[in-house]
Amino acid sequence: MRAGSLALTSLTAHEVEEVRRRLGREPTEVELAIFEATWSEHCSYKSSKRLLTLLPTSGRIVVVGPGYDAGVVDVGEGYVVSIHIESHNHPSAIDPYGGAATGVGGVVRDILSVGTRPIALLNSLRFGRLENALSRWLFSNVVKGIADYGNCIGVPTVAGEVEFDESFERNCLVDVVCIGVGRREELILAEAKVPGSVILIVGNYTGRDGIRGASFASRPLDGEDDRSAVQIPDPFLEKLLIDATLEAVEKRLLLAVKDLGGGGLATALAEIAYKGGTGIDADLSKVHLREPDMQPTEVLLSESQERMIFVVRTEALKQVTGILEKYELPFSIIGVVTSDGILRLRWYGRIVAEVPVWAAVEAPIQERVVQMVHRLSNTNTTLKPPTPDLHEAFFKILSSPNVASKRYVFEQYDYEVGVRTVVKPGDGDAAVLKLPNGKFLSIKVDGDPQKCHLDPYMGAMNVASEACRNIVCSGAEPIAAVDHLQFGNPDDEEVYWSFYQTIRGLTDYFSTIGVPIVGGKVSFYNEDSTTGRAIKPTPVIAAIGLALTHDSVTTMSLKTEGDALLVIGETSAELGGSEYYKVVHGIEQGQVPFVDPRLDLRIFRVVLTLATVGALKAAHDCSKGGFGVTLAEMCVSGSFGAKVDLSSLPRVGELCLDELLFSEGRTRIVVEVPKKLIGLVTSILERYGVPYGLIGTVGGRTLRILYDGRTIIEASLDELENALEKPIPNIMGD
Amino acid sequence: MGPRINNNDEWLVEAVIEPKPSLRDPEGETILKALVHREGWGEVLEIRSAKLLRFKVKAISPEEAERLVKKVCDDLRLYNPVSSTLKVRAYEGSRG
Amino acid sequence: MRVLVVKFPGTNCDYDVFEALRKVPVTYPELMWYRDAEPRGYDVVVLPGGFSYADRLRAGAIAAKSPFVERLQDYVEDGGLVLGICNGFQILVEAGLLPGSFLVNDSLRFICKWVNLRVENASTPFTCLFTEGQVIKMPIAHKEGRFYAGELSTDLVKSKRAVLRYCTENGSITNIANPNGSDHSIAALIDTTGRILGIMPHPERAVDPLLSPDGSVDGLLLFLSIKAWLGGQA
Repeated sequence: MRAGSLALTSLTAHEVEEVRRRLGREPTEVELAIFEATWSEHCSYKSSKRLLTLLPTSGRIVVVGPGYDAGVVDVGEGYVVSIHIESHNHPSAIDPYGGAATGVGGVVRDILSVGTRPIALLNSLRFGRLENALSRWLFSNVVKGIADYGNCIGVPTVAGEVEFDESFERNCLVDVVCIGVGRREELILAEAKVPGSVILIVGNYTGRDGIRGASFASRPLDGEDDRSAVQIPDPFLEKLLIDATLEAVEKRLLLAVKDLGGGGLATALAEIAYKGGTGIDADLSKVHLREPDMQPTEVLLSESQERMIFVVRTEALKQVTGILEKYELPFSIIGVVTSDGILRLRWYGRIVAEVPVWAAVEAPIQERVVQMVHRLSNTNTTLKPPTPDLHEAFFKILSSPNVASKRYVFEQYDYEVGVRTVVKPGDGDAAVLKLPNGKFLSIKVDGDPQKCHLDPYMGAMNVASEACRNIVCSGAEPIAAVDHLQFGNPDDEEVYWSFYQTIRGLTDYFSTIGVPIVGGKVSFYNEDSTTGRAIKPTPVIAAIGLALTHDSVTTMSLKTEGDALLVIGETSAELGGSEYYKVVHGIEQGQVPFVDPRLDLRIFRVVLTLATVGALKAAHDCSKGGFGVTLAEMCVSGSFGAKVDLSSLPRVGELCLDELLFSEGRTRIVVEVPKKLIGLVTSILERYGVPYGLIGTVGGRTLRILYDGRTIIEASLDELENALEKPIPNIMGD
Repeated sequence: MGPRINNNDEWLVEAVIEPKPSLRDPEGETILKALVHREGWGEVLEIRSAKLLRFKVKAISPEEAERLVKKVCDDLRLYNPVSSTLKVRAYEGSRG
Repeated sequence: MRVLVVKFPGTNCDYDVFEALRKVPVTYPELMWYRDAEPRGYDVVVLPGGFSYADRLRAGAIAAKSPFVERLQDYVEDGGLVLGICNGFQILVEAGLLPGSFLVNDSLRFICKWVNLRVENASTPFTCLFTEGQVIKMPIAHKEGRFYAGELSTDLVKSKRAVLRYCTENGSITNIANPNGSDHSIAALIDTTGRILGIMPHPERAVDPLLSPDGSVDGLLLFLSIKAWLGGQA
C-alpha cells in the first residue's frame, strides 16, 4: 500500500469525475489524495448525512452541536461539559492493543479540540463468543490497551459495557467515549477564522504509520494483515500534549485547536478553513518527520498518533512555543491562514495542490434509496418455548458472560484519578462525577444489537431508553447524548434500511423526551469481506445527566434491613433479543419490547422526584436478563437478601413465570424505599399515573422470589455472588 | 549448533519478540532521549526494546526445538505478527 | 506549612495532591515543573503519582536521575520532609533514597481498588495522628506495585520502617488482603532518618468523604499528621 499511485485511490470513477469538474482540470497527485481523505465515508458521512439531519440536535443548553470535534452543553455557573465518541473497530481487529489504545488517544484529543479538560472515559466493547480463543485474545488485549493508555494519561475510565456475540467474531467493536469539562469562556472551536494567524503542527513526528487509515476504515476487512493500519500508541506524548494544550487554552493563547485523526492533515486543514470561512497556505515539507524520505502525499495522509494543529495569532506565537518547549513537545510551524478560500499546499515552496476549500469538504452525497425490506417480519412471531427449571435458568443467565460481573475489566482501569469519581464502576447504573460547580455528572454508554437485529426501529428505541433510564437510576436528569451508529456495508439494501429505521427510532425517542443529540459517528463496513457477514446493527448511545445535589445521587446496593422494594413500570411477554431466550433456549427471535417514550418520560420524572426528596435508598433498572438479574445485583452489591413476590409486578397481558423473571421489556426500575415513606412514595406514583407494584422487602442473607406466596427461587448471597463474579475470570484463565 | 552433552532431549530456546523495524518503539526512544543522551552518551545511536521468552523444551534436535517454539508462539499468538517479529534460537551446548 | 508538589513529564496526580493539600489548614501548596523546582525553603516536598516518562525502562527510573531528585538527599539532611506517592515512591526507590525495588503485580494486571491498611508505626511525621494497629482505608491504582527487598524486608517490618501494611477489614495480614504480592504486605516505607515516606496507596484520593466507600478521610489525616508534626517542631 504505497502512496503515490493513482491506481490506489478509493474514490469511485464518478467521484473522480466530480473532482475534475470542480477543479476545472485534471487533479494533481496531492490533490487527489486530499479528496480521497475528505471524501472517504469515515470523514464525509456521504452515505449517512442526509438521514442524520433527522436527529434532534438543539436545545437550550446546547452550546456546540454535531459537526464539531465534540458536543458541548452548558451545566451552569459558567461551566460546560463536552462529550465525544470514537471507534477503532478495524484497527482493533488487527492489533487490539494498539488499536484500542489509539482509539482512546483520538477521542481525548477531540475533547481537547474544544478547549476542555478530559475528565472521564467510557468504553463499549463487543467481541465474538468467549469460547473462541481469538475472541479471548481480542478482549484481553483491547482492555489492556485501553487501560494502559487511559491510566498513563491520567483520565479515569469510569463506566462501560462489554458484550459477546457471534456476529462480532470477525468484526469486534471498540467504542470509546470521552467527557470533558471547562469554562464556557475558554471554549474554542476548530475554526481558523483569522487570516494571517499561524498554523503549527504539535506532537508526534509524522511517519508512515496509518496511511490511508480513514479509507481503511471505510472498507470491509479482507483478512490480510494491513500493516499500514497499525498505529503505535504513545500515551506519554499524549499526556504532554494534554498538559501543554490546556495550559495554552487557560492562558487564552490559542485561536483554534484541532486533532489530527482520520484523514490526517488533509481533513484537518480543510475542515478548519471551511469552518472559519478562510483558506490555508501550508508547506508539507515543514512538518517534522520521523522518516527522511517521505513523499508529500504520505505526509498529507499519515495518521500518526498524538498530533494536533494549533492556530495561533502571530503576537502569541512566542508564548505558545515557550509552553511547547517546556513540555519538550516537538512542533513545526507549517503555514498561515489566508482569506482566499483555497487550500494551498506546498512542498519545499513549490505549490503541489490548490483546491477550493468548499470543494474538498462538501463531498457529493451518495444518494441511496431506502428500500422497504420485510426480511425480519416473520421472526417476530415465535412460539413460546416451554418454561424450564427456573432456578437453573436463573443461574445460567447470571453466569452468562453478557450478564456476569465485569470486575475483571474495570479493576484494570484507574477510575479514581482526578478525584472526581463519586459512583464507581459496579456500584450503580451509571458512573457519577463531581463537577467543579458543585453539581454531579452522570454518564453511561449502552447498546443492544440483539434487539436491533430483530427490529431496528424498536431496538434503537430500546437502546435510547436504556441509556436514559440508567442515568435516571443514578439520580440525574438526562441532558444530552451522542450516538455511534455501527452497521455493515451500506450498499446492502437491508443494511441501509436498518440504518434508516435506527435513525427514525432514535429521533422519535429523543425528541419526545426532549434530550438533544449533540454529536456522534457513523461507522459502516463492519463486515467480513470473505463471508460477507455483517455485524448486527449496533447503535450505541452515550448519555449524560445532571444531579444538583449529592443527596439525589443513587447507587444500586440495597442499604437497610426492612426497607420496602417497589417496581415502577410494567413487565411484558416480549422476549425478542433477550439473554434468556438466547442462553437458555438458543432462540434469537421473538417480539422486541415496545417502548413508549411518553411513559418513559413520566417514569423518569417520578424517579427523579423520589430521588430529590430523598426517598430512594437504591435504584436499578431491568435490562439484560430481566427482573431476576436486577434483584440479584442489588442484593449482592449491598450484601442484603430480599423477599419479593412476582404476583405484584404490573404486567401487560398474561405472563408465565419465566416471562416475569427474565423478560427484558418494558421500561422498569426497581427501587428501595424506607418503610415509613411508602405512603408518600405511592401517592407520588399515583399522581404521575405510572404503573408500579409493591413487591417485597429487604432483609436477611438470601434472595427469595415467590409467586403468590409460593417460593419459586431461593438463593443465598454467596451463591449469587459466585454466579456473578466467577465466570469472566474463570474463562479468561485466572 | 553444538553437540548435545546429555541424553535428556531437552533444549533451551530463546524467543525474541521485537516490534517490526519499520514501526516506532516509544520505549526505546524514551530511554535513548530522556536518559542516555541526557546523560551525555552521544555515541549511542539507537535503542530498540524487545521481549525475551526463554523456553525449555523436549525435542530430538535443536532444529526441532526451534520449530516447536515457533509453532507455540504462532498458534497461541504469544506475539502479534502484524506488529512484531519473532526470532527463535536454540542454544549451543544446550542441555536440560 | 509550605509544600512543594513536583511534576515530572507524565506525572498525573499532581493536581489531585495540590487540591488535597488545600484542605489542610494554614498550608501553602505550590505546584512546580521539575526543571523549575528547588526544594530549599519548603517544609515538605511531595512526589505525586502517575506515569513519569510512561514508566519506560522501569517505573520511576528516568525521573530518579533528574537534578531535582538528586538534590533531595541534601534537602533531607537539612531537615526537609519528602513524601513519595505511588510513582513518587518508585522514584525514591530508584534514586536510592528508599531501599528495595518494584516488580509487576502478581496478577500481572493493573489494579484499582480501595484497600485496608494497618498502621504499624504511628511515630512518624506522616502517621502521628493515627494509632498503632489502626486500620485505615485508601485506594491503590498501580501495575508495578509489588515491593521487593529480599531479606531486608523482614528487617523493615521488625524495625517498624514498614509504616503501613495491606490487611483485612479487621487488621490481619493475609495473602488475600495483599493486592500485589509485596513482601510482607508492605504498602508504605520510611527511611532511616524518618523523614522520607514512600507510600503506594493514594492518600490524596481519601480526603473527601463523598468519594470514599465508607465516608472516611484517612488520606486527609495523613496530611494533617505532617502539619501537626511540623507544628510540634516549631
